[in-house]
Amino acid sequence: MKTTSPVGKSVPRIDARQKVAGEATYVFDLKLPGMLVGKMLRSPHAHARIVKIDTSKAEKLPGVRAVVTAEDTPKIKFGSNEFFFPYTVDQFPLEFEKVRYIGDEVAAVAAIDEETAQKALSLIDVHYEILPAVFSSVEAMKPGAPAIHTAMNNIGVMMPTCFGDPDRALKESDYVREDVFYLQSAAHAALEPHVSIGQYELSTDRITLWSSTQAPFKIREAMAKTLKMQEADVRVIKLNVGGGFGGKLEMFPMDFCACLLSKKSGGLPVKMMCNREEVFSFTRRKHPMIYKLKSGVKKDGTVTAITGEVIADGGAYCSYGPTVIAAAIMRFMMVYKFKNIRLFGSRVYTNNPISGAIRGFGGVQSGFAIESHMDMLARGIGMDPVEFRLKNATDPNMTTVNKMILSSNGLKDCIRKAAEISGWKEKYGVKKETAPGVFRGIGIGIAADVMGSKMYKSHESAGSIIKVEEDGSVYLFTGAADTGQGSDTAMAQIAAHELGVAYERVRIKAADTEITPFDTGSFASRVTFISGNATKNAATDAKRQILEVVAQELKLDIQGLDIKDEQVVARESGRALLSFDQAVILCYSFNYGRLIIGRGNYNPKTTPVDFRTGEGNISGSYGFEAQIAEVEVNTKTGQVKVLKMYDVHDIGYPINPASVHGQIEGSIVMGLGYTLYEDLKFKEGRVVNPLFSKYRIPRSTEMIPIESVFIETNDPQGPFGAKGMGEASLLPTAAAIANAIHDAVGIQIKDLPITPQKILAALKDNENKT
Amino acid sequence: MKTVTLDVNGKVFCLDVPDGELLIETLRDRLGFLGTKYSCLEGDCGVCTVLADGKNVLSCLMLTVEAEGRKITTIEGLGQKDLHPIQQAFIDEGAVQCGFCTPGMILASKSLLDAHPSPTQDEVVHALDGNLCRCTGYVRIVNAVLSAARKMKKTP
Ligand code: FES
Ligand code: FES
Repeated sequence: MKTTSPVGKSVPRIDARQKVAGEATYVFDLKLPGMLVGKMLRSPHAHARIVKIDTSKAEKLPGVRAVVTAEDTPKIKFGSNEFFFPYTVDQFPLEFEKVRYIGDEVAAVAAIDEETAQKALSLIDVHYEILPAVFSSVEAMKPGAPAIHTAMNNIGVMMPTCFGDPDRALKESDYVREDVFYLQSAAHAALEPHVSIGQYELSTDRITLWSSTQAPFKIREAMAKTLKMQEADVRVIKLNVGGGFGGKLEMFPMDFCACLLSKKSGGLPVKMMCNREEVFSFTRRKHPMIYKLKSGVKKDGTVTAITGEVIADGGAYCSYGPTVIAAAIMRFMMVYKFKNIRLFGSRVYTNNPISGAIRGFGGVQSGFAIESHMDMLARGIGMDPVEFRLKNATDPNMTTVNKMILSSNGLKDCIRKAAEISGWKEKYGVKKETAPGVFRGIGIGIAADVMGSKMYKSHESAGSIIKVEEDGSVYLFTGAADTGQGSDTAMAQIAAHELGVAYERVRIKAADTEITPFDTGSFASRVTFISGNATKNAATDAKRQILEVVAQELKLDIQGLDIKDEQVVARESGRALLSFDQAVILCYSFNYGRLIIGRGNYNPKTTPVDFRTGEGNISGSYGFEAQIAEVEVNTKTGQVKVLKMYDVHDIGYPINPASVHGQIEGSIVMGLGYTLYEDLKFKEGRVVNPLFSKYRIPRSTEMIPIESVFIETNDPQGPFGAKGMGEASLLPTAAAIANAIHDAVGIQIKDLPITPQKILAALKDNENKT
Repeated sequence: MKTVTLDVNGKVFCLDVPDGELLIETLRDRLGFLGTKYSCLEGDCGVCTVLADGKNVLSCLMLTVEAEGRKITTIEGLGQKDLHPIQQAFIDEGAVQCGFCTPGMILASKSLLDAHPSPTQDEVVHALDGNLCRCTGYVRIVNAVLSAARKMKKTP
C-alpha cells in the first residue's frame, strides 16, 4: 500500500506531471472565443499635467472595438495597503490630472489584433504640459522639490522608531561607527509576463478576470472598488502562474482595463499582456534604498545602540510602501536583541517607476545594510563575526523591544551549525592566495523573516474546504495562490496526512474567488503557515465527520477512533476497523446520507504595526537563518567568484524537504544576482536596460554549490511545526558575500551590486591609504 | 504568404503562413502546441526552445518557412502519456517550480543528452546556459539532467 503520511517527505509536486508534459495551462496560454487584444497607452513623460486626451481618431480605426480613458471610469483611487494606511491610496486605474512616471497609464484600447491595437495607441492624442520632475529620493525630500502628490517633502510613508535611550547608549559605547549603504533597484523577472484576460457579462453586470497573480482576492477587492461594483460581481481566477516573486501582488491598471474594455466592447474577452520590456519598465521594481547607520558596541561585543535613517525611493505611487518600510525596519529587531534603537524610515515619492513588493519586501536591503554593518562593528572591537552574532542574536521565547513575540527561534543554532559545516574556525581570517592575485575569504550573514504580516486587512485569515466524494476522492479548495513555490503540493500533503489518506488521492482547486475560500495571497512567506493551518483544520473537520458516522454505526466512542494509512483504526490498539473507502461509502449510505465537507480557517494571532512607534507583533511566528559565503576575489580583474554557500535555516519543520531546499537554492541564486550584477538602471525616470540581454539574471553557468541544512524548531503554531520560508534565504546573501570579500582582500563594499569596477577602485583606495 | 509543410511531433501539417511568421507563433497560435512558452521573443531566455532535427533552437528566432523540411519536436512530442526519462527526472529531482522554463529546459537537455549521453556537470551547465530559470537556482535542474543521463544509459 502506498504510504499515507506524506508530510515531511519530498513527494513529487502535485502539478509537476502537467508541467513537464507541457499541459499546464497559464493565463498566458488562455484563448477565449472572440478574444480581443488590449493595450495600454502610457505616459512618455516622467511628470506632466494631462491637458487633453483625444481618442476620436483611434476609435474610428477599423478593427478597434473599444477605447477607454479615465472618463469611462468612476475615478476611484486604489492602493495596496489600504486598510491601515488610507493615505497611501494614491493611484487611479487611469490617470486624468497628472502623470507621474514614464509608463503611467492614461488610456487603453481593445482591437481585433496586436497590430491594430498598436496603431490605435499611436492615434490617441494626449496633450501634456510637462512639469519639473525629480528622480532621486534625497533630492525629492528637499524643500522646493517638485511635489508629486500632496505629501509633505514627498515623503509618502514614514516610520519613526525609537526604543530605549540610544544617545546615551552611544556615549557609553567603547566603539562607535557610522556607515552608509546604497542598494540598487532590481526586477522580479518572473518568466511568465504579466498577463490577464477580462470578460464582462452584460446580462448580469458581472466580470471575470483571469490573471497571472499571487493574490486573486486582493485584485478582486481593488477591482470592485475602482469599478464601483460589488465584490460578488467580480470573479478572479488564477491558473498556473509562471513565477511572481512579489511582482504580481497587486491589481494593475491593465487588469482593470481588460475588464473595462470588455464592457465597452460588448462583452468580448480582452487579453492584456506585457512584453518583456514592459514587464521591466512598467510593472514593479525593488525599492532602491539608502541606509545611514550609526551604532555603538561594548568591548565585550554587546551592541549598545543602533541609530539611523532608512530612505527608500518609492517611485510614482505608494504600492506596498508601508509594508516595505515596516519590513525593512522591523527586520533589525527580529534578528538582534537591540534595546536602544532609533531608526527613521521614509518612503519617498519620485518620478521613477513604481517600487513595490519583491521577495523579502525591504528585508533584502536591510539584510545587506545590517549584516555588513555588524561585521564592521565586530572588526572594530576585534571580535570574530560569528561570536559577535551569537552574542547579540535574538533568543527563543522573547519579546523584542517593539513587542514582536519570537516563540520558536533557532537563530543561534543556525549560526553555530553554519559555522560548523563551513569550517569557519579554520578559514576565517586566514589569508589564502590560491593563485597569483586571487584570494579566498569567508563571510557570514544572518536573517529573520515573518510568516505573513498584518498589513493588508484587519484579519489575516485563510480558509480551506475539503470535500470527500462518495467514491473516496478528496478535493481541497484553497484560496492560496501557488506561483511555483509548491504551496499546492504542501497543502495537499497536509490535507492527506490529517485526513489519513494517500497524497495521491488529493486533488486541489486553488484560487478562484467565486469558489475557493478567502486567502490574502502568496506573500510574506505566509502560505505554509497560515493557509497550511487552515487546510489542516479543514481536514480535521472532514475526518471528524467521517468518524462520527463510523462511531455511530459501530457503536463506539468517536474519541477512540482515528484514520491512518487509509484505514479507520481504533486509536489505542491501532486495529483497522474498516477502510477509508468503506467508511466514506458508509457516510453516503441509505441510513446516513452524510456528505463530507470539512471546513477550516486560520487567523494568526498578530497585531498590526503602529507606524508611529514601530510596535507590533506582525507575524504569528518568525523564521531564522544563517548563511555563510566562501568567495574568491581576483585582485587583478576585480572578479568575485562565489565558491560555495552554506545555508542553515530554521524552517520549523519541512513539510516537503525537496521543495524547501528548492526555495532556498532559488533564493540564494537570486540573491547572488542582486549582489553581483542585477541592477535595474534608470535615466531620467526611464529604465535603460529592460531586456534580458541588458538586465542579466543568473544563468546555469553561474550556479553555485549550496549546502542547505534545516534546524527543526517545531513551531508551536505552525502546521506540523512548519514555518514559511519563501523569502528569508534571500536576505543575508549579499552581506555574506560582501563580508567574505572583506575577509579575502580587506575591502568592504557598501553599495550593491559589487561589480569588478567597484572592487578595483576600492583596492586602489586601500593601497593609497596604506 | 507561403505554403509550408511542417513536420511537428511526427505529424505533417500543410499551412499558409506569412513569410515573416515566427515558428513560435505557428506552433502556439495555429497548431495549438501551447506547451512551448516564450518570455522575451528576443532570443535571450531560451523559454521558447524546441528541437529541429534533434537540435535545440529558439522558436522565437526561427521563421516558420525555415522550419520546413526539418523535424520539429515540442514538449508535447517528447511525452505526455508516457513521459520521457528526462521529464520523469525533472519530477523526481524537484526541478520544476513554476514550470514556465520547464519545456524549453527539458528540450535543451534532450538535445544535449542525445549528443552526449554521459555529460559531466560542467557540460550540462554549459548546455543549459541559454535557458533562464528564475525559480530554482538551477541546482535541481542540473541534477535532473545528470540523473536522467544515468537512467537512460541503463535502459537504452
Ligand atoms: S522567447 Fe526568449 S529566447 Fe525565445
Ligand atoms: S521553474 Fe520557474 S522559471 Fe524555471
